[in-house]
Amino acid sequence: MSFLDWIVLSCTLIFIIVYGVWKSRGQKDLDSYFLGNRSMPWYIILLSIIGTQASAITFLSAPGQAYSDGMRFVQYYFGLPLAMIVICIFFVPIFHRLKVITAYEYLEQRFDLKTRVLTSFLFLLQRALSTGISIYAPSIILSSLLGWNIYYTNLFMGGLLIIYTMYGGTKAVSYTQSLQLAIIFSGMFLAGWMVMHLLPKDIGFSEALHVSGKMGKLNVIVTDFDLNDRYNIWSGVIGGFFLALSYFGTDQSQVGRYLTAKTLTESRMGLLMNGLVKVPMQFLIMLIGALVFVFYLYFRAPINFNQGLLNKVHNSEYAPEMQVLEQRYDSLSVQKAGYVKALAAALKTENESEIEKVKSSLKAAETAGDTVRAQAGRLIKKADPLAEVNDTNYIFLHFVVNNLPKGMVGLLIAIIFLASWGSIAAALNSLASTTMVDIYQRMIRPDGTDAQNLRASKAWTLFWGIFSIAVAQFASGLGSLIEAVNILGSLFYGTILGIFVTAFSMKSVKGHAVFWGALLAEVFIVGIYAFNLVSFLWLNLIGCALVMLFAGLWQFVENFIAAKE
Amino acid sequence: MQETPEEKPPVFSRWSAWYWLVAGVLAALIVFFYLFTKNYS
Repeated sequence: MSFLDWIVLSCTLIFIIVYGVWKSRGQKDLDSYFLGNRSMPWYIILLSIIGTQASAITFLSAPGQAYSDGMRFVQYYFGLPLAMIVICIFFVPIFHRLKVITAYEYLEQRFDLKTRVLTSFLFLLQRALSTGISIYAPSIILSSLLGWNIYYTNLFMGGLLIIYTMYGGTKAVSYTQSLQLAIIFSGMFLAGWMVMHLLPKDIGFSEALHVSGKMGKLNVIVTDFDLNDRYNIWSGVIGGFFLALSYFGTDQSQVGRYLTAKTLTESRMGLLMNGLVKVPMQFLIMLIGALVFVFYLYFRAPINFNQGLLNKVHNSEYAPEMQVLEQRYDSLSVQKAGYVKALAAALKTENESEIEKVKSSLKAAETAGDTVRAQAGRLIKKADPLAEVNDTNYIFLHFVVNNLPKGMVGLLIAIIFLASWGSIAAALNSLASTTMVDIYQRMIRPDGTDAQNLRASKAWTLFWGIFSIAVAQFASGLGSLIEAVNILGSLFYGTILGIFVTAFSMKSVKGHAVFWGALLAEVFIVGIYAFNLVSFLWLNLIGCALVMLFAGLWQFVENFIAAKE
Repeated sequence: MQETPEEKPPVFSRWSAWYWLVAGVLAALIVFFYLFTKNYS
């Protein structure tokens, strides 16, 4: 990074921290600290919801996903607008009417204390671990590409945002997220424009789309039904619906965002607008990845986008083998550049037979390139058995660091930080509110004054911040655990959703039945995952259905025994 | 829950109109993406 990049990065981050602290002065009790006195308009709710969901990995991984697997990942979001509608009809009115701070407060009113505590505990467990990974995942990418120390990067990534999150509570989180998103979208728009600008002069937007499409990267809709395929329209609409319903309806990091609204109407409008903009937004982010793919057809791509790993191999006994593979890959890149120029020319003249001929040659060269990349991956594994050779998350950042002008690289790195901070800050706020409201204030110190509660809330925010950084530091040495922790959310979301859906729809079921039904369902979900029976998106639907089934059966048996006695 | 006057939705007279709009836009997007996939593949 150049000096100018460092200036841009530092100024952007300092500006966000100062802005967050300044906008959130005057906190005096739990309502102001965790709900911002319920004063937010719908557009702040919308930006805050988007900022909480979109982590750095969203902006790094999605373009990389389009590069390597095409744009079909967009289907993952198809269930989200439908979930927004259901949440607006059933969830939000109840939360507003009861004036709760956390979603889990409602469960004690509907069931009992142990169900509230169980659900809070499941939430705290998965959210705390996944927040640690939200710190670690972008840090490892930045440290690998820029040569930064991973431990300091984790500290920098997770530490600075604690200042404004702890000081300003939810107001600081919401206002900084709005500003962060404005900067993020500007940067992503500039990055998309730069990809087009860097393509050869005779390749316009339409030609680039045609080339990308001919290479199978614009496969937005996949209609084949396969339970083990993560991204098709069926898993997207059905599985995605239950995932979004669980996430937005029962995860305090999101519930806490729309409970800050002035009125029920403002909450609903924020959620519905999210339903309108989320799918097109994700489509545009992935389109950048499909265009980066076209860029790397014309210009040399590295054999693996994770530069840190390549450097490791070059400094090992496997360096000569890697050099041979890289030479082979480079000659294939030259071939591909020739074919793609011929394909673009054939597309302009609409010569169908020539298009098919050149497309076949280009695809053959691409397949040969993928084979060499796989060989390089095996070589990397030999040099570093713990290495993660999948470089999907590194593709977009590699493009940014190596091709964008000075200043813009700093801006894009700042965007990685801001995107991380938005979701981590909301997570810390939700962890603190759940610990404070559902456990500390409910069971440990129910008679605290406003000042004491406020101090304790800030202390819990600090505690969860330090805990998350510790998880991130621990993850540094345990690469294989990362995927397991990422799937943790899917293991618990279905059960949590099932508890809420039972509360809303099965009026005869009592606390005892839903508590044991939820525990049983959780055991089944872990079993289904352990035996790899379905893709993780379906676990939310299955978990929800199992809780309802077991809770209903338990209540039936309880009623039956009571009647006999 | 009882609807209070300030809970009337903006633009439309009923919330159900907003829900149909969101579902309709999703359906339109899926059709657009289907045609997009067909056209460029």
